Amino acid sequence: MENKTVQILKAKRRALWRQRFMENWRVFMRNPLGRIGMSLLVMFGLMAVCSYIPPMIDPMYHPMTGVDPKVVSSVGPSWQHWLGTDFMGRDIFSQLLAGARVAFLVGVSAAFMSVVLGTAVGMTAGYMGRFTDTALMRLADMIMVLPTLLVVLMLAALFGQLSIWMIVLMIALFRWPGVSRIIRAQTLSLKQRPFIDAARVSGASHLRIIFRHIMPNVLPLAFLYMTFRVTSAIVIEAGLAFLGFGDPGTVSWGMMLQWVWKTGYMFQAPYWLLPPGICISLITLSFYMLGRAMDEVLDPRLRDETQAG
Amino acid sequence: MRKYVLKRLAQVMVILFCILTILFVLFRLAPGDPVTRMVDPEMTPEESQHLIEQLGLDQPIWKQYLIYLKNCSTGEFGYSIHYGEPVAKVIWEKLPNTILLFTTAVLLSAMVGISWGKIAAWRKGKATDLGMTIAALVTHTLFLPWLALLLVWIFAYQLDWFPITGMVSDEVWLDPDAGFFTKAADVLYHMVLPLTTLFLIHFGSYLLVMRSSMLDTLKEDYILLARAKGLTERDIRNKHAAPNAWLPVVTSVGLSLAFSINGGALTETVFSWPGIGRELVFAVSQNDYPLAQASFMLISTVVLLSNVVVDVLYAYLDPRIRY
Amino acid sequence: MALLTVENLGIGYQTAKGLLKAVDGVNFSLEPGRSLGLVGESGCGKTTIGMALMGLLPPNGRITEGRIVLDGVEISTLPEDELRKVRWNEVAMIFQAAMNALNPVKRISAQIMEAIQTHRPDMDDDAALLRVEGLFNLVGLPLERLHDFPHQYSGGMKQRAIIAMALALNPKLVIADEPTTALDVIVQDQILKETKQLQSQFNIGIIFISHDISIVADVCHDIGVMYAGQLVESGPAEEVFFNSQHPYTQALVSSFPTLAGPKTKLAPIPGEPPNLTGTIPGCRFCDRCPKDTASCKLDHPKWQQVGPGHHVLCDHC
Ligand SMILES: Nc1ncnc2c1ncn2[C@@H]1O[C@H](COP(=O)(O)OP(=O)(O)OP(=O)(O)O)[C@@H](O)[C@H]1O
Ligand code: SF4
Ligand SMILES: [Mg+2]
Repeated sequence: MENKTVQILKAKRRALWRQRFMENWRVFMRNPLGRIGMSLLVMFGLMAVCSYIPPMIDPMYHPMTGVDPKVVSSVGPSWQHWLGTDFMGRDIFSQLLAGARVAFLVGVSAAFMSVVLGTAVGMTAGYMGRFTDTALMRLADMIMVLPTLLVVLMLAALFGQLSIWMIVLMIALFRWPGVSRIIRAQTLSLKQRPFIDAARVSGASHLRIIFRHIMPNVLPLAFLYMTFRVTSAIVIEAGLAFLGFGDPGTVSWGMMLQWVWKTGYMFQAPYWLLPPGICISLITLSFYMLGRAMDEVLDPRLRDETQAG
Repeated sequence: MRKYVLKRLAQVMVILFCILTILFVLFRLAPGDPVTRMVDPEMTPEESQHLIEQLGLDQPIWKQYLIYLKNCSTGEFGYSIHYGEPVAKVIWEKLPNTILLFTTAVLLSAMVGISWGKIAAWRKGKATDLGMTIAALVTHTLFLPWLALLLVWIFAYQLDWFPITGMVSDEVWLDPDAGFFTKAADVLYHMVLPLTTLFLIHFGSYLLVMRSSMLDTLKEDYILLARAKGLTERDIRNKHAAPNAWLPVVTSVGLSLAFSINGGALTETVFSWPGIGRELVFAVSQNDYPLAQASFMLISTVVLLSNVVVDVLYAYLDPRIRY
Repeated sequence: MALLTVENLGIGYQTAKGLLKAVDGVNFSLEPGRSLGLVGESGCGKTTIGMALMGLLPPNGRITEGRIVLDGVEISTLPEDELRKVRWNEVAMIFQAAMNALNPVKRISAQIMEAIQTHRPDMDDDAALLRVEGLFNLVGLPLERLHDFPHQYSGGMKQRAIIAMALALNPKLVIADEPTTALDVIVQDQILKETKQLQSQFNIGIIFISHDISIVADVCHDIGVMYAGQLVESGPAEEVFFNSQHPYTQALVSSFPTLAGPKTKLAPIPGEPPNLTGTIPGCRFCDRCPKDTASCKLDHPKWQQVGPGHHVLCDHC
């Protein structure tokens, strides 16, 4: 009997959830920014998936180690090499595809880590208050004003060449303060709500309150911030690679730009200079647009504004 | 107010102290022998012995730390391995160049971003607004080094309007007859492309912030009152809406300073602009740790101090904040 | 001649669901130096009328019919440039959210001086400041707070500053939209008394908007009761308050505790006003009216005279 009501309640909640999701999805897709951003990302996603194909066709299409034996310097687009080759005869198009894979890898994993970290810190600070709060937020302020790219560069100076995972980790470690501030503010306002008090009175532990009651409410916001973090992670990795401190074992778009710049081909080989830069800029733009559109989903105030205008 | 500034400066000192300490610890943890990393192998034995003593590298670790702090606080960062000169001398020469480029870029892009954002908000939904918003979105997501390379390729290489790299031309600076204005004009001429790069990347975010802040402000009741008072739309925009809408922009300038400094270093590197950002990149690639450390500390100081300036500016613009 | 005449005024807002008729067929007039209170529950169109009198309807709102004549000039058709000269000079307004109506980054003195100098461009700063000082004395604000910023003022002081600003140019008409709702009862009472006194002193016409009929009855000469965009009862304050005829007014009167009067049982009015986007065939109050008859739902009620200057829009009173 009781089971049944619980089941019905659960089903109702699920239905409500689905309805809300559909509603949000509609708002999201109605936004031109959301649509464009989404389609661009799908395109980059396809590129990342397709990056596995060229090396299977012929080892000379391997983005890192493959070399076309008939080519000794950079040549323009041809049937064998749609976008031409780099200075030692590697296929630029396969490198571009591989770059998409690296960009997603770096962007999403660094963003995910920094958002997890930022959310954890923000919730802790907001929930615990007092000394913990002050200490954590001071730390956040301090890290926030540091230029991440240069910090990672400095770490490269200390420890030598950084691997791609090290870079991802470093970006995550230095990009969480923004997220944590927002989440902290949200937590503070949630703390005022009666259901938190109710939970506390009924004897729930701090951890339980944080994870069961606060986290579900701040997660949407955290997700929004993830899209913005993705862009900053991609840009930092690309900048690092461009300066020559990327992981030498991966082909990223930043790395490609570093090659075309350092080998002195940039004035002769627009087919090589243009694609990686366009890709980095476009992927940044599309994540940015995605974030803006999500902003609108989460903040009805913005929604009304665009409807009226 | 004065107390607030002093307090902020004290905070800056504390943060710098923390960074120094962390660097010290990491440097001892890092692979490689501190002595070989700090001391130029081409020095004579006496010279290197002197340097080791000066840096305290022969002392127990806690004493090394104290000597290190003392040295850093007096600006003694050791000898640059690459230049074979005191690091302080190398980077002090570079500091004005960075400040010149960086401040001009931030001020210019903030000014343009703010005034265009104001216009975009005022013409919300019209073609002007749409054009400006799209331009802002696109330029500020461009990848900075790539934009720099493109500008070089188009304006320096193809059109040959501007120099490809550098900050001065030798003909002008070696010419004994060249006066101040000739030299200044020469620097300005070299600065056009790096400045354009930084400007294009930055003005967009200021424009977008100003636009949305302005739109929020226009919904406020005091705007309605201003209109009821019979003010012209122009006065409402400039005298009532804008001074309030600036505030979030100032905050965002502060928050994006770190990002701007990243961009500054990349720009300096691409254009071989002799600033500290480029020096840091160069030092890291040359394994010149003393130089890298000093450049990093100097950049951090510049960023932290700029943040203080921004906060003070904010307090000045918003009467509700009084420290 | 009447200071203000509003004839058959209709105002609509363009919304996603169609045209919302916020004000429909409203008539009233105001003699110089008299005060009219507009009362009604939230959403009945009081603010909308006030805004229309200033020519300040939002972009999606417009006057669909009727006219507003102020001092012989038809406001409703005046071009923007002319309107600007009328605003504050002849009609000043105290906004509903007066607490937020002061610009936070400008000094109070500057904000009042600005109002003066916009309309008296030949007045120099010293003269304008002198005028502001006079106004401060008038509304009882201490002169040493002249150059403060708004956040340094309490709510009551802000309200007084706004009143001072409204009086700055000796307007013929002041529209006060719920000027005291955000204040505590004592300050509210003080400010209302002073307002009343200032009004008779300077012979200003006032339109006083409130949802509290007891306050309006206390402050104003005449009362207009509004319901769902229409005026439903109007007349001298005493008449309307103590001898209300329209069922809605009666409900309003009994749903508020009077400041001075005996404590009566509060009777909130059940139900909600009709949706204003469609056309409404009969009396707008019929769903909530205790006296409604079948004919009420079919035909628009007619205005009836029930006393000297006392009119009611109801067929059964
Ligand atoms: N800008 C607008 N766009 C669309 N509808 C509006 C707008 N402003 C007001 N309305 C509608 O017009 C009607 C009248 O609003 P108005 O603000 O005049 O009411 P009011 O009597 O002043 O209420 P309150 O006592 O709450 O201030 C309401 O139904 C409201 O929803
Ligand atoms: S007309 Fe009828 S419904 Fe309307 S107020 Fe009078 S009695 Fe009530
Ligand atoms: Mg109102």
